[in-house]
Parts: sequence; structure tokens; C-alpha cells
Amino acid sequence: MKNSIKTIIQTVCVMVFAAFFASPAQARTWTSTDGKSMKAIFLGIEGDNYKFKMANGSEISVPKDRFIKADQEAAVRLNEIGDDSFTKASARQIDTLLATNLKKNGYSSFNDPLPDDLFVRRVYLDIAGRIPTREEFLEFAESARADKREALIDELLLSPGYASNLFNYFADMYRLQADEDFNNGIRMDPYLEWWRTQLEENTPYNEIVSTMITAEGNVGQNPAAGFILRDTGMEFDAFSNFGQVMLGIDISCAQCHDHPFDEWTQGDFYEMAAFFGNTQRSTGYRANASMMGGGSIQMPNAPENWKKNFENWASTSKGIDMKDQKDRQFRYFVNALGWNVADNEMMETVLPADFIGSGGKPNTVANPRTMVGGAAKMGGKTRREALADWLTAPDNPRFALVIANRMWQRAFGRALVGPVNDFSDEMIKRASQPETLRFVTREMQRVNYDLKQFMRILYNTRAYQSIATAEEPDWADDYYFQGPILRRMRAEQAWDSMMVLQFGSEIDTKEGADGSFYKKVLDIDLNVASNEDVWAHFEMWKDNQRTMGNAVVSASNDNYPEIINDKYLRASELKQPYVAASMLDTFGQSDRQITDSHNYDGSVPQVLALMNGEATVQLTGLSSKVVEDLEELDGPDDKVRGVFFTMLSRFPTPEELKLGVSMMEDYGDDGISDLAWALMNSPEFLFVQ
Amino acid sequence: MTNIAELAGKDPLSRRYFMEMSAKLTLGVSTAVPFLPRNFQAQDGAKAKNLIYIYMAGGMTHLDTFDPKKNSGVMGSTEMIDTNVDNIKFGMHLEKLSKHADKLAVINSMTSTNGAHEQGMYIMRTGYNKRATIVHPTVGPWAETLLGKRGEILPDSVVVGRSTSNAGFMDPSLSPLPIADPSAGVPNTQLIVEGERFDRRMEMAQKLGQQFTSKFKYMGPDSYVEYYNQANKLLKSDALSAFDISNESNASDYGTGRLGQGCLLARKLVENGVRVVEVIAGGWDMHVDVDGSTATRVPELDVALSTLLTDLESRGLLESTMVAVGTEFGRTPDINMNSGRDHYPAAYSCVLAGGGIKGGTKYGETDGSGKKVKSDHMKPEDFLATIGHGMGLNLEETIYSPTQRPFTFADKGKPATKLFG
Repeated sequence: MKNSIKTIIQTVCVMVFAAFFASPAQARTWTSTDGKSMKAIFLGIEGDNYKFKMANGSEISVPKDRFIKADQEAAVRLNEIGDDSFTKASARQIDTLLATNLKKNGYSSFNDPLPDDLFVRRVYLDIAGRIPTREEFLEFAESARADKREALIDELLLSPGYASNLFNYFADMYRLQADEDFNNGIRMDPYLEWWRTQLEENTPYNEIVSTMITAEGNVGQNPAAGFILRDTGMEFDAFSNFGQVMLGIDISCAQCHDHPFDEWTQGDFYEMAAFFGNTQRSTGYRANASMMGGGSIQMPNAPENWKKNFENWASTSKGIDMKDQKDRQFRYFVNALGWNVADNEMMETVLPADFIGSGGKPNTVANPRTMVGGAAKMGGKTRREALADWLTAPDNPRFALVIANRMWQRAFGRALVGPVNDFSDEMIKRASQPETLRFVTREMQRVNYDLKQFMRILYNTRAYQSIATAEEPDWADDYYFQGPILRRMRAEQAWDSMMVLQFGSEIDTKEGADGSFYKKVLDIDLNVASNEDVWAHFEMWKDNQRTMGNAVVSASNDNYPEIINDKYLRASELKQPYVAASMLDTFGQSDRQITDSHNYDGSVPQVLALMNGEATVQLTGLSSKVVEDLEELDGPDDKVRGVFFTMLSRFPTPEELKLGVSMMEDYGDDGISDLAWALMNSPEFLFVQ
Repeated sequence: MTNIAELAGKDPLSRRYFMEMSAKLTLGVSTAVPFLPRNFQAQDGAKAKNLIYIYMAGGMTHLDTFDPKKNSGVMGSTEMIDTNVDNIKFGMHLEKLSKHADKLAVINSMTSTNGAHEQGMYIMRTGYNKRATIVHPTVGPWAETLLGKRGEILPDSVVVGRSTSNAGFMDPSLSPLPIADPSAGVPNTQLIVEGERFDRRMEMAQKLGQQFTSKFKYMGPDSYVEYYNQANKLLKSDALSAFDISNESNASDYGTGRLGQGCLLARKLVENGVRVVEVIAGGWDMHVDVDGSTATRVPELDVALSTLLTDLESRGLLESTMVAVGTEFGRTPDINMNSGRDHYPAAYSCVLAGGGIKGGTKYGETDGSGKKVKSDHMKPEDFLATIGHGMGLNLEETIYSPTQRPFTFADKGKPATKLFG
């Protein structure tokens, strides 16, 4: 899959940063091969030279050969991901705010600093979404570089695992799934691939959201239209999801009555929902009371009566019988083509006949109005454009806060204010860390919704790089972030870790389906295409519809898609969500029906999967991959250490080493695979410390 | 570490339980005071020793199933059919079940305020509104707590059609065993190494895990220690055959889908001593094309439920097994622009049978278009309280969460006692 990573435009960052912080960005110390050093801000690589900004404001170029190897490596990294002096300043600011609050609440300081071995396992899991290999662990453990932690964080942020891991998070949040049974026959594959691409290219989050909200067309012409099409037939539920995901407010109960706890009225609900009130998603269905005008609705972006005319033509010229089961694929194809997003001036949101709340009257038209923050500016824009502009405007801090708070929860295992999809303004005021919440909200805006840069800040904090808190904090109690809290691996982290144990780090770049087949089949401009053109697309479609089980398809030649029936892929590359009773499902992968529904409950089937599952058989069975991989090592001590590196990414304690060595003395290689099995089946394996 | 004697002093414990606790403590787990199931007797007169709770996820359309109307304006293409009980009518796709109406109590007066799936399903399965500060247990853990543990090896409760489960604020050892695919039973039960070598592996895993579980005082790692104990016991018994439905002679009578096979598995588990089996099957969220969707979904329910009732009866289990059919809400009487029906919590239908339920009963009524409940309003907590009443659970008994919050089964819901014969 594409690995292109957007280079950060530094000048923009510098300007915004300078406006935000009174003090200038910190310079880094650079050392030359002859032992001299200078303090300067790194600006980038130009040919064989490095560009710097000096303390007095002047800019200089220095040949790269003048620098020691560690600095040359740092320059390559910083050139790719951007200067880290801002990152460090922000991280320090977060630490200062948290430390002050800790003291105020009776804690002396953060938890003890995280040792190197726990650090490497945690950042691999948190950033790349899987445990490190033995080689990756050793490379870090043996490195003597002073900046090895920053370097590893950057390396992982630039690795393909980063986007894969983040995809799993957004797939749960945005309920991404490609099962046509759930979606009225809409093919979501191109939309899912669009999401993967946005994360791989690190598109700013506000842009992703704007593009989705304002998308028009079908998923073949514009994959981002999948966002609007996701809840076709459930327009008000779609709006409730919008509230939870984009605004952090669960307003679903205001659909039927005034909100019992918050200030929202039922009228607020329909007025805000009216931003999607003229959004048409489909064709060929009859209109009813929830729309003004009534009558049948034309397919947008198509000549009048296109659907009927095409069906008539196919019946006359191609012998299609719309009622015959043998021609059902034709119906599915026309149906899939018909899911199409457009604005339709004939449509309005109408308050329901049984409207019982305040802020409106039954059967009247609701005009678009925002229920939180300032008003949306409509002038010359479509409703959805106005909504997108309002949502992502710099003066709407709630949007930035929602995503910053979510990203914080990803790093620390607990949000600054929560639950992340439902909190009131009052709860923001009562948050245990109001200053930190304000600061990270502004940081999200300062980095222009660049999630990679934002996460880079969090991972560089002392708070994050602390031992996980040992006592489980109560849900209802305030928590002061003396360190992250202990978490079980997400289902996808457990799956991807099994994949890397079985297949090594190459698994990170192995591709699954990319949605391109459906993108191509459905990419038709109906205003231009002749009936024969559309028919040619149908033939492609038809050829693809063989029994595929859980396989997924990608494009190969025109008529025959490539069918990928490989389950040895990272979770993000598999069918979304993956099949029932799979290890992903067993460990709580979200079914993508409700937002944020991944779960962390344990179960007997989970431990059975670890005890006897396919991966365990390969790793610790009669022909054990772990034993095979350690053949190159001499002596029981090294082999026992090797098993600990592979399974738990840490050194064994002296007692553990003794236990392992005695196992090897008694049982030889069997002792090694027994030890590997035992480590996989101790609770430590499943938890992110 | 908590002293064993101190723990024992908290409650009059059976010797067996005391031994189990000692075992847990020597493995370095459960340092917090655990949640203790107690041996209460079932309430007098209760006949339902077992429960099979069939849950129709997505919101079962009441008009097209158990509450059809003469008013054709709300019926789409569903027609009303007679049953073997005069005043009970069904939608036409419940043809087989119409011959078993004399076994059923049809509740047409369900009403709720939860219009969202997750919240609606939550209260229908736990009797409590979903809260952000605590997780409430489902019927299985409640029954085990109030009535005592029944089986040594098999779990007391199983949930079919879910890949995960929990016991809410109760001890993880009470979690229903989740079976994602009824035809697959419990996956991954083939040991990699056998006998002494397997024991060696387990013992080593426990030893190596101790340092970690004692360092972190979290429910999560502790619960995994418990699941390993349960899995170990299960693997060493022949009880696993109770989960295998591949050789059941009447398997095809139930229907080949998840719902039918789930009902078959539920029957077999109950027969083998499991107390509570939930069978969860989806596909009821019919926002688009309700006619097409009911034509596939309702017959599945028709076949599965009719066969289950016949099967339980012929095995002499219907008298001691309550069968419940629940859902989170009904669907709008007005058909929407996509020929579908939307969420409708104001009025919906559920069904009870067996375990002391008086068959041929119609309970409650909606108006002529299925929009409003006219009599005998039954809220989700009342429905659960009715189930609890049938099982002899003491609805007054207060159980405290680890944070000392008081809870009773079904949140003070009122049981419909007149449904019992």
C-alpha cells in the first residue's frame, strides 16, 4: 500500500507557533565530527547541506558530512517528520500543567519513569499497533543514542503500522464496514480505502471531516460520499451519530422528546438535523411526510427517469427480466449505482406529527440552526458546506476539543473529559484538568489538525513515559494522569501482534483489498455515459459476483477482479469488520453498528484462542517457530532471554531466567516452546503496560 | 494481601467455596474482596428452573409479527392470520407458530423510552438504564448470585450470538460464556500438547504471571486468571460435548441460520444443566424495505420458535424452562420514504412461554394502529421482573456493587403475576 507521508510544511508551523508562544522555539545541539558543537534550529535538507536558523536569526547552510553519524540520522528523521523543538516545548508545557495539578491534589509527582523495555513495547503497540519483534526490541535496547526515545517515536509515526493502527480506531468511531447486507446494497469498499489513504497521507482531520460532510455523488465517483450513505434510511440516527462523533454530544434522545438532562430541546434536534435536511441519498424511492413536495425523487446527477429508461433498454436490448431471479445481479448493480448523494431543493426536514417537546410545532418545517456554539454562516453556501465551515472554524473550539480529547484517550487510556462521545459544556468546566484540556485543544488547532504531530507531542511527554498506574481509577473519580492507565490490547492489537509473531515485520506492508474494483465499476457519469457504457460496467460487476466467502476483491484486469482470500493480513487490511467467531471478533472488535463499541471484556473463548489457537500452534506446537527462530543463539541463557524478547519485549528477572534455564535443562527445545507458550498465556502478554 | 480467614468471616461460606478462594489466593489473584454468590432458595412456587431468552436485536416490528391490525393503513403487505387461540392474531409469516399460541403469553403492551439500539438492548437484557459509571449484570449472573452456582464445570449461563460478555459489577467468574457461532460451539478446544506437558505449561504460565497480576490491582488481569481456570477445567472434562450440535437428529427442523441453530444449542445446553441461555440474533433493523426484510426474518423466527417449543415439550422440559422473546423496541406504524419502518419504543411486543406461564394469554393492548399502549403497560424492567418472578428470584434482595451501590434484580420492575397459571 502507499507509503507516502506528507512532509510537514515547516514555515506554517513556525509562524503559527511563534504567534502562540512568546518564547522562540528551542534550538537543538548539533555536533561536528571534529568535536565542535552549535545550537541551532534545523530547517531542512538542501542537496548535501543542512539548513539551520541561528540564535541571531540568520540562516546558514552546512555540508552534512561535517556532522557526526547520530546527528545525520536525526537530520533525516527531522526532515521527514518536521522539527521536534515545537513538539518538545508543547510536551513540556503539558507536563508542567499536569505536574502542578498533581501537586495541588496531593501527589508528589508522576509515576516513576518508564524503563526502556516497557517503553519500547508500549510505543510499538500504541503507535504501530503491534508488539515489536525480537530484532526491533534489541535494536532499541542496544542503542546508546541519547535521543533514542524521540527517534523511535518518530520512526514509528512514519511507519506503515501507524496508519493501520489509527484506521482501526476511526473504523470503530465512524462505524466503517463493507458488508452489503447492512448497507442496502451500497458498496462501501471504496469509502474504506479512501479512509486508509487519508490516514496514510496524514490528511488534516478537519479536511477529512469537511470532505465527508460536503461530498456528492456515488462511492465510485467520490468515495467520501460513503460517510453520508452509511446511514441511508436512518437519516436522524445519522445525525445523532454526527453529534456524538463530531461534537461529543449524544443528542439521540432529543429526537423523540426534550433532552432530560441537558438543555437541548426536541426543536434543537430537528433544526440542527436540518443541515442534512435537503441531502438526498438515493433514487427511486417514494417520498413521504418527512419531506416537503412529495412525489417521486429523481436520481441526482442523472438525466430525468434515467433508471427507468435504462431498465427498459436492458430489457429490450439485453433480455433482462427485472423479476427473474437469474437477473438479480442486474438489480443489485442498478441499486448500488443509485446510492448517490446530492442536495435536493425539494426536500426539507419536517417536525414529526407526534412532536411533544419544545422549540417547534408538529408538521412544520425546521430551518437549519446550530444548537451549540455560534451560528453557521449560510451566505451562498449549501447547507452542508455551511455546516462543515462552521464545524471546523477556528472559533468553534468544541470540534478541536473533541478530537484532541479522543487522541489523548488513545495515549493515556483515559480521556480528559468523558465519555468521549457525550459530554456537556458543564462537564468541560468540571474536568479534572481544565488547563490541560484547554491547552491540548489549542495545540490541535495550532498543528492544523495534523494528528501525527499531535500524537507526537503526547508521546513525548513525561506523563506518557511513566509507569502505568497500578490501581484501577474509579470511573467516577477524578484522575490526574500521573501516568497512563493499564489497558488490555485492543482486538486489532492482539491480532496484529499474532501476525508479527508468525510472519515478522513484513506483515506491516502486506496489502489486502483496496476497493478499487468497486470504485471502477461504479465510477459512471450518467449524464454522459451511453446505455452500452453502463452495460459494460454491469458486465464487470457480474463477473465479480461469484461465491467469495470472506474474500475481498481488488482490481486486476478489466473484467476479472483479483480475489484476495488471505487472512494473514493486518486487521486493517481484512474485511471490515472481520468475520464472526474470528480471533478479532472474540477479542471484542467493534461490530461497527454503534460508535465506539470496541470492547475489552475477557472471556473463556479468548483464553482458548491463546492456548490452542492457530497462531499458538505455529509458534509453540510440535514444530515451533519460536524454537526455530532461536536456533542461531547459543546456550540456554541466551535462548531463554530470546523467548522473553520475542513474547514480552523485556529482559527476564533473575528468577525467571533460572526457571527458563531449568526448563531447558530438563526438556531441551520442548522447554523453549513450553516457555513461549507460558509467556503468551500469562496475562502480561495481553496488557499494554 | 487479604487474609483468607478475614474473607471467610465476611459471609458464611461453603467449604467448597472456601477452598476455591484459597486456591485463588495462592495463585496470587483476587486481592480485593471478591463478589460472593450465595445459596438462596428459589422463591416458592416458581417453576422455571431454566431460561432461554431469545433476543431479536434491531427492534422487532410488532405490527408484522405479534400485533397485527385490521387498519390496512399501517400494515404494508403483511396480512393478519388466526391462531389456535381466538383473541390472538399474528402476522402471516408466523404461520407455524400460530398453531402454538396456546403455549404463549403474548405481551402487546411493551413500552420504553429508549429509541436507540444500544440503550434499548441494554435495559432489555439487564433491567437497568445504561449509565456511564457502572455496568449492570444480565439475567445469568443475577440468577447465579441469587440462587447459587448450579454446575461444577459447565457455566451457569451462556450467551449465543455474541463474541464477548461480562458480569457487570459482579465477579468475572459469573460472566456468561459467549458462543459467537452456535454451529462452531466452543472453538479452539484441541490441546497443542497433552497430559503432563500441558499441566507443566499451565503451571509455568501461572507462576510467570504472578508478578504482573500482583503489581496491577486491576479487575482486567485478575479476570483473565479466572478465565484460564475456567478454560482449564472445561478442557479437562467431557462437558464440552454439550456445546456440539453437529449430531442432533432434529437439527434441520430448527432452520439452518444462526437463530435456529442457536435455539437448538440452547435446548441442548439447558438439557445438560445450563441455567440461562440467551440467544441473540439480529437483522430486525428494517429502515428500508420492511416487506422484503420480514419475508426472510420472520419465517426464521417462526420455524425456530415453533420447533423449540415442540422439542422442549416432547423432552418434558417446557414446564421447567421459560422461553422469552424480547427486543429493544417496535417499529413505526407509518412506513417511511424507503418503504421501511423506523424505531418505535412507544409500543412493541414480547412473548413468554413455558416455565409456569399460562399459555394462550394475550396481555395488554395497543390502539387500532399499533401506536399507543391502551392497557397493562409493561416497561422493560417489568418484563425482566416477570422473568425473574417465574425463575423464583427474590426481587427484593439487595446486592451491593464493589463500590457499595445497592441493586435489586430488574430495578424494582413489577412482575405481571397474572401471566402465571
